[in-house]
Amino acid sequence: MRAYVTGSGQFLPGEPVSNDAMADYIGRLSLQAARLGRLTLRRNGIRSRHYAMRPDGTTDWTLARLGAAALDDLFARSGLDRRAVGYLATATTQNDLMVPGLASGLHAQSGLPPVEIASMQSVCASGMMALKSAALQVAAGEHAAALAVGAEFSSRYFRPGHYHGTAAMNADGTLPSDAEFLRWTLSDGAAGVLVEDRPAPRGLSLRIDWISLRSFADRFAPCMTGGAALNEQGDLVPWSHFPTIAEAAQAGAFQLRQDVEALHRMLPVWLGELMRLVDEGRVDPGGVDHFLCHFSARSLRDEMVALARKAGCLIPEDRWFTNLYEKGNVGAASLFLLLDDLLRSGRLAAGQTVLCAVPESGQCVMAYAMMTVVDGDET
Amino acid sequence: MTEVLDIAHLESAHRGLARAWIEFESGLAAVPVIARLLSGRLRIEDYRSLLFNLRQQVVDGGRWISRAASNLEHEELRALFIRHAAAEHRDYRMLEDNYVAAGGMREEIRGGVKNIGSEALSAFMFHAASQANPVGLLGAMFVIEGLGNRMAGPWAEAIRMQLALDEDAVSFLAYHGANDEDHLAMFDRALAMAVIDAATATAVVRHARIVARLYRLQLEELDNV
Repeated sequence: MRAYVTGSGQFLPGEPVSNDAMADYIGRLSLQAARLGRLTLRRNGIRSRHYAMRPDGTTDWTLARLGAAALDDLFARSGLDRRAVGYLATATTQNDLMVPGLASGLHAQSGLPPVEIASMQSVCASGMMALKSAALQVAAGEHAAALAVGAEFSSRYFRPGHYHGTAAMNADGTLPSDAEFLRWTLSDGAAGVLVEDRPAPRGLSLRIDWISLRSFADRFAPCMTGGAALNEQGDLVPWSHFPTIAEAAQAGAFQLRQDVEALHRMLPVWLGELMRLVDEGRVDPGGVDHFLCHFSARSLRDEMVALARKAGCLIPEDRWFTNLYEKGNVGAASLFLLLDDLLRSGRLAAGQTVLCAVPESGQCVMAYAMMTVVDGDET
Repeated sequence: MTEVLDIAHLESAHRGLARAWIEFESGLAAVPVIARLLSGRLRIEDYRSLLFNLRQQVVDGGRWISRAASNLEHEELRALFIRHAAAEHRDYRMLEDNYVAAGGMREEIRGGVKNIGSEALSAFMFHAASQANPVGLLGAMFVIEGLGNRMAGPWAEAIRMQLALDEDAVSFLAYHGANDEDHLAMFDRALAMAVIDAATATAVVRHARIVARLYRLQLEELDNV
C-alpha cells in the first residue's frame, strides 16, 4: 500500500487528573461506587487522565474543538500546508450532535479547505476504521494527503446529573457495575495522523503495510452500549422506541454501559485474530519492534498470556509501547495518541516494524495494523 | 535447527486449536438449547434431554479412546490414551445418576439411542481411531476436554441456579469442570510429544475442527433420533 503516516498530533485538555482527583470531575455517587472505582483503577493501571469538563460541570470544549486542537498540534510540526489536505476521516464513540457527523463539525473548526469527509462512529476501533479509509483513499490515488482524527469527550456523560432519577441508580446512589465501570475507565482527548502518498522528505515516516479489521458481531451480543436500555425480556430497546424521551431517559437509555464479563469472553477472539495473521504469514511475533496495543499487558489474564506463549504469538513484553497509564483510555483517539507518542519517543529507527492492535468491546471488533519505519523519501 | 522447527510446528498446532476452539465456542452459543441456558431460559425438560442425549455418545468414550490407543505407535502417547480411557469409561453412569436426580427414569436413559448428530460424532471417532497411528485424535480430545474445562463448570452452576437442582443432579458437568484442567495440562504434554512435523500439526487441528462441528451437530439434533 502506498500510504505513509508522515505526521501526527494530539491534544489533551487541561492538566493531568490523578486517581484521587477524578471524583472532583466525574462527581461522587456513593461509597460503593468509589470502591468499585478503586477496584477498576487497580485493574486497568491508569494513574492519570485528562478531562474536558471542569469540576463545576462547565466546559469550553466539544469533540470538534478537541479534534481541531489536535490538528493544530499536527500542522505545527508538519511540513505540509493544511490546504493540501483532500480527505478528513473522523472517529468517535458519541458525537457532539446526533446529526450531522463529527467530520462536518471538525471540518468547520479545522481551517481546512473544502475536503472529502467521512465520519466513523463505533468505539475504539473507529480510530482504525478512520485510518484505513484515509490510507485507502491515498493508496487509491484519490487524494495525495488525508487526515484521520479520533476524539472523545466521555466525561460529560459520567456526571451524577446524568444518572440521578433514572432506573439505573439505586436509592443509595449506587450504579450497577456495568454503568459504573466506564466512569473509571474512559477520559477525554483527541489525536490524529496525516497520511500521504509518499514519506515525509525529512525525518521518519511510517509506511502502512496493511490494516486488518474484523467484526465478530455474528457471535456476540452488544457488550458496550449507549442509547438503549434493556427491557424485562432482556432485549435492548433503542431510546427512540420509547413512547416519550422522558421515559427513555428514566430507563437509563442514555447511559454508557459495559458488560465486563462479556468483555473477558472476547479476549480469546481478539488473540485468535493475531493467530490468524501469524498463520497467514503477515505477523512474525519475534520480528515486531514496537507493539502498540490499546490495552495493557497487565489487563490480560494469565491464561491468555500462557495461550499466546505456547501458540508462538506472544510479542515480547519489552516491545510493548503504551501510554495508557499516564494518558488514560481515550477510546477512538487511543490509536492516534499511541502513534503520536511513539513518533515523538526517539525510539524509532528506519527498518523497524510497528504493530498496532485495537480491540473494541462494543459488539466485538479486532483490528491490527502493520507499519514499517522509513527515513526520508525511500523511492 | 530441528528443535526450532519442531517448536514452530507445535506453536502452529496450538494456534490452529485455539482458532478451532474460538469458532466452536461462538457456534455453541447459537445452538438453541445453549442459547436458552446462557440467557437463563433453560427448562428442566431441556436439561433432561441434554443428559439423555449426551449419555448415548459418552458411553462410547472409553471404547474409541482404547481403540485409538491400540493403534498408536508412540508408547507414551499410548499410555496416556489408556489412562484416559480408564478414567472416563464409566462417566456415562454419572449422566444416568444426574438424569434420575433431575426427575428422569433410569431405564429410559439406559434404553436410549443416539441422536443423528451423536451418530455422526461417534462414527467419526471410531473411524479415526481405527486408522494407523491416529495422533490426530489429540485434536478431538482437545475439543472435548476443553468443553469440560471451560464450559462445564459454569454450565453446571447456571443449570443449578435456573432449575433449583441439587449438586447431585449436575455432578457430571461439575466433575468435568473441576478436573479437566489437569487433563488439559496432560494434553499439552501429549501434544508436545505428538507434533513432530507439519503433517501431525495439520492432522491434530483438522480432527479438532471436525469434532467441534460434529459435537455442535449433536447438540443441534437433541432427541432427533
